[in-house]
Amino acid sequence: MKLTANRVIRSRRASLPILAVMGVLLAGVPAYAQRGNQGGGQPPPLPAGAAAGNPFARNPQAVVEGQEIYNRSCTACHGKDGSAGDRALALGAPARRYARRTDADIHDAIMKGIPGSQMPPSGLNDTDAWKVTSYIRGLRGTAGDAPAPGDVAHGEQIFLGKGQCINCHMIKGKGGLSGPDLSDIAGIRKMASLVAALTKVQHKIATDGGTHDAELLPLATYQPVRITTADGKTITGVLKNEDSFSLQVLSSDNALHLFDRAALKEVFYIPKSIMPTDFDKQLTPAEFQDLMAFLTRQVIAAPQVAGRPGRPAGE
Amino acid sequence: MRIIEDRGLRTGREAALAPWRVLAAAALLLVSTGAAQVTDQDLRKPDPQNWLHYSGSYDAQRHSLLKQVNTTNVANLQAKWLYHMTGAIDFEAVPIVVNGVMYISQWNRVEALDGRNGRLIWQYQRQPATRGWHRGVAVFQNKVYVATADASLVALDTRNGNLLWESKAVGEGLRMQGAAPLVAKGKVIVGGSGRGGGWIQAFDAETGQHAWTWNVIPKPGEKGVETWEGDSWKLGGGPVWLTGSFDPELNMIFWGTGQPAVDFVGDVRKGDNLYTDCIVALDIDTGKMKWYFQNTPHDTHDWDSTEIPILVDAEFKGQKRKLLVQANRNGYYYLIDRTNGKFLQGTPFVSKLTWSTGLAEDGRPMVVPGSEPTVQGNTVCPSTAGATNWPSPAYNPDTRYFYLIVQEGCGVTYRATENFKVGAAPGLNSGTGYMESPADQENWQLHVRALDLTTGKTAWSYMQVGSKHYGPGVVSTAGGLLFAGEQQGQFTALDAKSGKVLWHFNTGGLITAGPMTYMIDGKQYIAIGSYSNVMAFGLP
Repeated sequence: MKLTANRVIRSRRASLPILAVMGVLLAGVPAYAQRGNQGGGQPPPLPAGAAAGNPFARNPQAVVEGQEIYNRSCTACHGKDGSAGDRALALGAPARRYARRTDADIHDAIMKGIPGSQMPPSGLNDTDAWKVTSYIRGLRGTAGDAPAPGDVAHGEQIFLGKGQCINCHMIKGKGGLSGPDLSDIAGIRKMASLVAALTKVQHKIATDGGTHDAELLPLATYQPVRITTADGKTITGVLKNEDSFSLQVLSSDNALHLFDRAALKEVFYIPKSIMPTDFDKQLTPAEFQDLMAFLTRQVIAAPQVAGRPGRPAGE
Repeated sequence: MRIIEDRGLRTGREAALAPWRVLAAAALLLVSTGAAQVTDQDLRKPDPQNWLHYSGSYDAQRHSLLKQVNTTNVANLQAKWLYHMTGAIDFEAVPIVVNGVMYISQWNRVEALDGRNGRLIWQYQRQPATRGWHRGVAVFQNKVYVATADASLVALDTRNGNLLWESKAVGEGLRMQGAAPLVAKGKVIVGGSGRGGGWIQAFDAETGQHAWTWNVIPKPGEKGVETWEGDSWKLGGGPVWLTGSFDPELNMIFWGTGQPAVDFVGDVRKGDNLYTDCIVALDIDTGKMKWYFQNTPHDTHDWDSTEIPILVDAEFKGQKRKLLVQANRNGYYYLIDRTNGKFLQGTPFVSKLTWSTGLAEDGRPMVVPGSEPTVQGNTVCPSTAGATNWPSPAYNPDTRYFYLIVQEGCGVTYRATENFKVGAAPGLNSGTGYMESPADQENWQLHVRALDLTTGKTAWSYMQVGSKHYGPGVVSTAGGLLFAGEQQGQFTALDAKSGKVLWHFNTGGLITAGPMTYMIDGKQYIAIGSYSNVMAFGLP
């Protein structure tokens, strides 16, 4: 009986990739992703001071202008939106390790080209080159590196009201528990994956393919389930974790449940994520833009540490 | 059990109403009313199935009423699960368990496990990811509290680890010392240190708002500053790095403070150096000091008084007493009246204690002249590592024994120069240091020891062969057992009455954390951190 159950679980995962990726919906692994040392689609962390010298660092308007300049000057080789062209690599591929990582390095390549390669000097003026740099940084970094333009305060109203995001998501201690905490969402996710999470039914965060898991992290977090217990009681919620023998479920009334698989009558994996993916239809374009402006500013700054924690003095 | 393949099988209700909207509506309804998981009453009188405090209960007795595992069946105890915290170092944290969910921690990192099988439920990682010793979390209502490396107190949601609020400790250049917070009367109490010395601060458990601060080192105009010659109070010290206890009736918390700075050089800070190396009683509402008792005035051996103060109500010399008992790092076992801080009795619990000839009527040690550190090195027993240290003791009301980890042996303590000047030699802020005595008969050796509560006499002693230094704590149970990890990796169950070994298991890792016990679905577990693993044991 148990063996059969195991096989079913595996086939379910294999045949339905959407379920496997539900765990990474939007910010499917918020706490773990903050660590930034795993594969899992995270770009390698940028060196400290990577934006030094760029007068347009984190400037949303410059990113928009930089994209226009990019689309005029760079797409022939690098492809539209930096997605790879016939003659040169993608500029914002997930988890790729770029040789030129700081803004100064990117700017230098735009201005002077890369000797020994097909990359010529772009002929852009210094200001335009910095704007393109900001755009490329936005492709590589997380959404918070290049926040979207828009009315942030109105975006927050959408988050709290019309969008109903607050029902499931928490920001800075306020909101629902079923979905990922979004307090640092722009610090851990790219713009593209934020947009995809809000608009695409089947979206997934690409991984770099070669990374071996180093930790026993839950893969099915946020998978909606309906549990029927032996005495016929049903509990609906999201999975926090599961294995062949047990399930840990956060029910819709915000209680943690620990289940033995063998003691349950039924585990129903609800096919559709709780997360709606029609925000481009539910919201007007202006509202969507403002929501993005709000979400792309949700970044938690790294705390400042005085001294090194370690074995306390005197022990 | 059936697992339903989800190929379009939908009930009418689900088809009519997208599941997220149902869930969202339910969540909205219950976010505001979300039932409190741990109440104030729970914290005062924990259900034995849970382990709600670092020391198990407010009196810090670390004595569990669970007795499913007892002297008759402990020999059958077996490993139930193991959880490995990847990238972590050796645990010093004591797991907290609420209704079957276990909370474990290292610096800037908290994880929630299913207490039945060790499966991960959620993980909180604060930046920077850092390695270092850390001693645990506290819980109240739906919040887990943890002190972080950036001197913040953080509240996480018990159910998914969401960050609910964070509050910076109030002051400049402060450090949390990684001790588990204590939650009582709606306040979260944490200790730490900073350039100005050690401190204890209280925060509102609901909002994180700072409530009060008590500073270990008094400033000019404050009582106690006269115990520091000149302006040597500026040297500071008195770090607060373990968790205290609480008496709800007296409305007092009891906490130990660390050594004065500069650690090993006393002549730059002549005087008693209050309130370093003290046990203090603070009013929990205001943080005002009600009394203090200084175990080691003018300490020059870095014998912090941070060891856990255990509260026991017992008869002493024919009189009912509210006792505070502490086995201090300086080698004495103290009985104190916790209503007023009056010293009642102090007895050595190590075989060699050379720095003092005994304690005066008021508890002040009679110090042997010339026992201070010297440039050539001065042998003193116990060593600076202490006759005991952070490993938690326990008290069993059935046996009336106080159990602790004892480190026998001596040390050699040094000072940097004859004419030590503060700041003259960078990197020597402690004045220098100590080492194990090279003499064979003075080598370090760990023991589990049972002391009679009121006489302090050794009832039994169990030598942990091969384990020399610090070691883990102990937990006592109503099953007549004392569980004690051995630094060298053995997890051992001893007969609480006799100290006889009834069961042992090689965990395969260094043990420096205290064990605890809990129950879920009618099954008792005993858990302990072993290097970066947590292991749980139970009956077949």
